[in-house]
Amino acid sequence: MTDVRRIDLLDPAEVARLGGIEIVAQGVVEGFLAGIHRSPFRGFSVEFTEHRAYQPGDEPRYLDWKILARADRLFVKQFEEETNLRAMLLVDASRSMAWRGAPGRLTKRAYADRLVAALALILLRQRDATGLITFDEAVRQVIPARVRTGQWTRLVRALLDTPDGRGTAAEAALLHLTGLLARRGLVVLVSDLLFDRALALTALRYLRHRGHNVIVFHVMDPAEAELSGPPEVRFRDPESRASVVVRPRELARAYGETVRREVAAWRSACRRHGIGYHHVLTDLPFGMALRLLA
Amino acid sequence: MSFLHPLALLGLAAAAIPALLHLLERRVPPEAEFPPIRYLSEAERQSARRLKLRHLLLLLLRTALIVLIVMAAARPLVRSRGAVGGGAHEPTALALILDNSPSSGAVVDGRPLIERLKRVARAAIARAATGDRLWLMLSDGVARAGSRDGLLATVDSVVPGWRRLDLTEAVARATRLVNAEPLPGREVAVVSDLQRTTLGQGRADIPRGVRVLALAPRSSGEALANRGVAQARVADGALAITVAGTPGGTPASVTVRLRPAGGPAGRSRDVGRALAAPGSSASVPLPSVAPGWWIGEAVLDPDELRADDRRAFVWRVALPARVRADPGAGPFVAAALVVLAQGRRIVEGSDVVVGERLQGGAGTTVLLPPGDPALIGQANRALAAHGVPWRFGDVGTPGAIGSAAVAGIGGIPVARRYRLTGAAGDTTAVLATVNGDPWLVRAADVVLLGSRLDTAWTALPASPAFVSFVDVLVNRLARGEALVTEAEGPPGVVFQLQGADTVGAVVTAPDPRESDLTPATPDVVGRAIGAEMLDEAGFAAEQYAGTRRTDVSALLLVLALLVAGVELGVATRAQ
Repeated sequence: MTDVRRIDLLDPAEVARLGGIEIVAQGVVEGFLAGIHRSPFRGFSVEFTEHRAYQPGDEPRYLDWKILARADRLFVKQFEEETNLRAMLLVDASRSMAWRGAPGRLTKRAYADRLVAALALILLRQRDATGLITFDEAVRQVIPARVRTGQWTRLVRALLDTPDGRGTAAEAALLHLTGLLARRGLVVLVSDLLFDRALALTALRYLRHRGHNVIVFHVMDPAEAELSGPPEVRFRDPESRASVVVRPRELARAYGETVRREVAAWRSACRRHGIGYHHVLTDLPFGMALRLLA
Repeated sequence: MSFLHPLALLGLAAAAIPALLHLLERRVPPEAEFPPIRYLSEAERQSARRLKLRHLLLLLLRTALIVLIVMAAARPLVRSRGAVGGGAHEPTALALILDNSPSSGAVVDGRPLIERLKRVARAAIARAATGDRLWLMLSDGVARAGSRDGLLATVDSVVPGWRRLDLTEAVARATRLVNAEPLPGREVAVVSDLQRTTLGQGRADIPRGVRVLALAPRSSGEALANRGVAQARVADGALAITVAGTPGGTPASVTVRLRPAGGPAGRSRDVGRALAAPGSSASVPLPSVAPGWWIGEAVLDPDELRADDRRAFVWRVALPARVRADPGAGPFVAAALVVLAQGRRIVEGSDVVVGERLQGGAGTTVLLPPGDPALIGQANRALAAHGVPWRFGDVGTPGAIGSAAVAGIGGIPVARRYRLTGAAGDTTAVLATVNGDPWLVRAADVVLLGSRLDTAWTALPASPAFVSFVDVLVNRLARGEALVTEAEGPPGVVFQLQGADTVGAVVTAPDPRESDLTPATPDVVGRAIGAEMLDEAGFAAEQYAGTRRTDVSALLLVLALLVAGVELGVATRAQ
């Protein structure tokens, strides 16, 4: 019996060792789509254009029941831009994202890149216009949403070309993004959310107000969720260079509670404003992370 | 608090180790990047107070742990009033008064009292430590300083003595001794039968800081019945016996025995018997015996205290005096001499002359003041020429006679008299006084009277004691008496020799106050010597209690274990 292993369910670090972002993303997407059998994302354009004969695999919800009742034939309705969802993927490229808690794990940025690449591939395969914006304290890369051939390659290239930032002024970057997203669509923010929650929520709420469907991936290294380390250590913030001396063993419980409270606060705030929120640890298989969107 | 091993306290410097380690450990912590530092700061802000308290608690616990262990190693001694012998004590100056007076030989509950006193004294001394200063005072009043072992040997050798102990004075001396010692503890332990009479007069001045403990009599409040011969003296041919003892006792039979001095004791013969209760006296006439020294004893039936059951006495029997009275002596003297002559107490002669002029030759003169005041100066000049230091002085005020030397004349009024002056301070020459002035004195071969023996001068010639007085005057006072003195000691007689002549004797016997075995009440003891009366257990418990120390190192180690457990719990909880 052949041992079939789906790439999308493997350990992210292990998957990353298979090759570059493209290979990894394609493998993940193949595995992921094979698992759910259909696209998880749907467009929301309602401009009807024509009927066509039903093909096996078409969504039953698009069957024209009137024709079926009148002529006893199966036709599906086709809509303008049916698959032309405008998705904009926002990747936090700040300094804090280039951190990992253990050598065997991916940095948050590496994890986010692969996750975003896979997501973009899924979206483009179903002919959704997909774009990319990377930012740290400023917007670094902007790839407008397109469906054209080579779009995915451009997106991946943009991810690769975006260096790790020095700091995070995500609030300003997010506000700037709102200006770039003129048409309603899907906005996916992938970040460690290590910035002021109130200001960031203001920007996200604005996007939501503009009609965007907003989803937030809160990426976190497992070492950030549970504090550990030597008996006493000086922890330094890679962005602000602020430091604090702590005894991880003493502070572990309070820290864990603080993190859980912070995650709960983000989740609560996002739910309150109709924003999707997903807390993702960097040891979570990509397929499981993508499934959160299904 | 004191320490058995104070040098170990140097280890207290190690108490700084936790703090030093804390500081050193904090100096160069490793550094690492950690992006969610805002979460850290938030967590630390929220738990900073708790962590600070925990750190402080851990620091204190670890420091306390080291301090406790070091203190335990130093073997600390703290004040305690625990069980006897259960701990050490600070250096103490202890004066132990062991009352081995004659009364300590009384038999109580079938055993000599001295055994109990020795046992308690022994235990008290045995508990002494190396740094203590010890004295042992017996009833002889001598404070014997010595080591514990030396004094224990002394206690073992103690037997009931013959000296009475004045406990008040002994305690006063003992307290002064211990108070002079610069030691933390100063105690006086009184191990005595605590007779009421042993406390003497007055009260001991107890210095501040000196504790006085007294062993209570076993049968507190219940006096042991006892009788003793308090006095046995021959006077004018009779033996006056005084019986002492515990008040309320029944009369006891006193047997009088007599033997010639120099003869074997076995030759004593009973010469009389009397019945006397404690506190009363009896007189036993002595038989006519040949002139010379005689030794006798008054013996009581045996009782619980044997030391006072017999008392010796001496009797010097002399030939009748050869007496002559001048016409100036008066009719009363002449009549008395006639009576004495008839009773063969005197014979006619010139050895003793009674009159108002000094006799020129050998012999003794009983000199009466001249009836004519104008002759006083002449009499005084004669006295001076004779080398007698006494003179007839001014006319004195009327009064009553007081005399310890002559029985029976005390209280008899004297209406006229001359003050006898001279030989100031020579009280031994004064035989009787009136209003404190010498009235009857003896100097060399002259006996002076301040009044004529006439009823116009004194009521003495009209009293029944007059003949006896004249008898004493001519036979004893005028002819000179062999000195018989009394002293404390075992019942017996010691003669004083001068060449081949016996010139005096010392009769030794216990102090009659020893016979009264009535115990002193706690109030009396407290007032007299400032002591608390304690039974044997209490006595042992209270001794060294003021400075008793208990080694608390074991307690400190237990505390250290507890602290270590708490520290482990706090540290584990912290991690």
